[in-house]
Amino acid sequence: MESSILESIGTEMIGVMSPVSICMLLVVLLVYTLSSSSSSSSEAAIRTAANLVYQETSTDSPTEKLEGALLNALVFVIFITLITFLLVVLYYYNFTNFLKNYMRFSTFFVLGTMGGSIFLSVIQHFSIPVDSITCFLLLFNFTVVGVLSVFSEGMPIVLRQGYMVCLGVIVATWFTKLPEWTTWVLLVALAIYDLVAVLAPGGPLKLLVELASSRDEELPALVYEARPTVSQNERSGRSGLMLLVGGVSDTRSVELQALSRGSADGSENHRNLEYTAVHVENVEHERDSEVERLPLVGHLFREGFLSSDGSSSEYSTVVDNRENEIVVEEETSPLVDMMELGDEREQGGRRDGRENDIIVDKGIKLGLGDFVFYSVLVGRAAMYDLMTVYACYLAIISGLGCTLILLAVCGRALPALPISITLGILFYFLTRLLMEPFVVGTATNLLMF
Amino acid sequence: MTVAAGIGYTLLALGPSLSLFISVIAKKPFLILTVLASTLLWLISLIVLSGVWRAFLPLKSTTWWPYAILIITSVGFQEGLRVLLWRAYKRLEDILDAFADRVSKPRLFLTDQMQIALAGGLGHGVAHAVFFCLSLLTPAFGPATFFIDRCAQIPFFLVSAQIALAFVTIHTFSMVIAFNGYAQGNKVDQYFVPAIHLVAGMVTLVNFASGGCVIGIPILYLMAVLTLIHCGKMVFRRLTENRSRQGNFQ
Repeated sequence: MESSILESIGTEMIGVMSPVSICMLLVVLLVYTLSSSSSSSSEAAIRTAANLVYQETSTDSPTEKLEGALLNALVFVIFITLITFLLVVLYYYNFTNFLKNYMRFSTFFVLGTMGGSIFLSVIQHFSIPVDSITCFLLLFNFTVVGVLSVFSEGMPIVLRQGYMVCLGVIVATWFTKLPEWTTWVLLVALAIYDLVAVLAPGGPLKLLVELASSRDEELPALVYEARPTVSQNERSGRSGLMLLVGGVSDTRSVELQALSRGSADGSENHRNLEYTAVHVENVEHERDSEVERLPLVGHLFREGFLSSDGSSSEYSTVVDNRENEIVVEEETSPLVDMMELGDEREQGGRRDGRENDIIVDKGIKLGLGDFVFYSVLVGRAAMYDLMTVYACYLAIISGLGCTLILLAVCGRALPALPISITLGILFYFLTRLLMEPFVVGTATNLLMF
Repeated sequence: MTVAAGIGYTLLALGPSLSLFISVIAKKPFLILTVLASTLLWLISLIVLSGVWRAFLPLKSTTWWPYAILIITSVGFQEGLRVLLWRAYKRLEDILDAFADRVSKPRLFLTDQMQIALAGGLGHGVAHAVFFCLSLLTPAFGPATFFIDRCAQIPFFLVSAQIALAFVTIHTFSMVIAFNGYAQGNKVDQYFVPAIHLVAGMVTLVNFASGGCVIGIPILYLMAVLTLIHCGKMVFRRLTENRSRQGNFQ
């Protein structure tokens, strides 16, 4: 029996939604465990860019709180805008390496200090017996691998995605320590900022994305890529072999790393032509680093991908295949060879279908900021009750779904925050004000329907 | 220990749905999206209902008839929503079939249609369990439990988890029954679903009597089993029909 279309629709959406869900779940768990432990001790007020102006205390009147929160949000948004413009300027003048190193540094900093402090409080809460040297070593290793995975090409994509989620969790957990009113106003302000920055002409994020796409480069920013991992392709039937190949190419020795990456990437390109547009950039990018090491293969790749840029995907497949075979010959791995052939056949039938799919020929990328602020909303909801958490989660995920559908319709970069945040906040307050008394009233009388 | 109790209650209410989710739904991304959408729809229905009833809350917990009205209106509203969901599903099915034609893949099989219905039902059921049972479970993870006066034999969390399990079953499978009933124009199936839902809702009113939960919960489970049997029979009938029809074609 042929596989039904149910299995192929929506894969991309799930590919984005599942890491977001994981991120939110972790944040909620962290907030739950940590807030219950630290509620007794006096809450040390943290001062960040998000509450420079006004420090909320519970004794203030609502108007004071609102004004202060508005000011805080305004300052924060201005701050972010300035930073983003600075980023655009730096990127415009080709300080790409500086930007990448800065990103690496900030990753190190976030993972090391913020992550470390969360790590410590988790250790304290569960009273895990760890001595300081082990703890330091673990943390240091974790951090270094994280930094390496952010922009270097040798890392498996799963690791990179994992670290992106980690970063999101850590930053979001820190943001949930902001006072309540500030959080809400800040979320609204950021949603509006996101809307303006991505859609308005001259918006910084719009400029950045356009610049990156005109240069055919990867965005020098922390972005989650929903590029399907090898293991995710399991469900489409040719799983066993593919998984095997993936496993092999991931665990190769270091000298072969670039090579095997090449072949893995090539086959990835094969499998998902809808990712070509974005993917080509990546691969192209990687090639630069590989050229010195592998002049022959590098050259071939270059040819292959330049020609595959347009709509002639059929041709690119052929070229792809050829070069993969070359790589494969060097590796003397008959498995990969076989796979490529099988894939080519499969792909011919799949291609036109995939192009009409919900997401038009682009891999989905989600900024880390979106991860963070979704999780902040859910984390803040977790401080009230579980019911609001579920409601907010559903609202945010459905907002994300709407955004993805819009993305398919518009076919350009879209802000991911506004719809989700609006729905999330709406559902939070509806749940808190309307639903909670209703549900508690009926459920405690053991009435259900 | 208390964490174990909390997890136990959660699994009691949601364990079957979890295994259903992993074994059937999780393999097909589209079904996951269906579950999410249907959960959201149920949440919206609950919010609308609570918005309407908010003015009358809190109801006195001594008289039972306001609760009866509440249940009747809620069930009515949700059954109305089910009809709407069916219309939306019809349209979706057309879109999916058109899409399948375009990519030259087979149209939706009967099992696919049933799986979509199952996913829709599962969304409703899970939403029910999450909002009526799971969201009240927070204290169960702490170092105490809670009894209510009318049902002093069993902890409140355990009772609500049991009731939630029954309702999850009813919601999940009644969606399959309802969709098949609509598709075939079968009046019995079409009326069976709201009837079961209403009766199950009314049965929870028995819990108002002191010690009523001892009687109420078995009746509720009778309803759930009835739904399961009916659904199983119907699915079996349709599958055998379908198979014999396919046999005739070949």
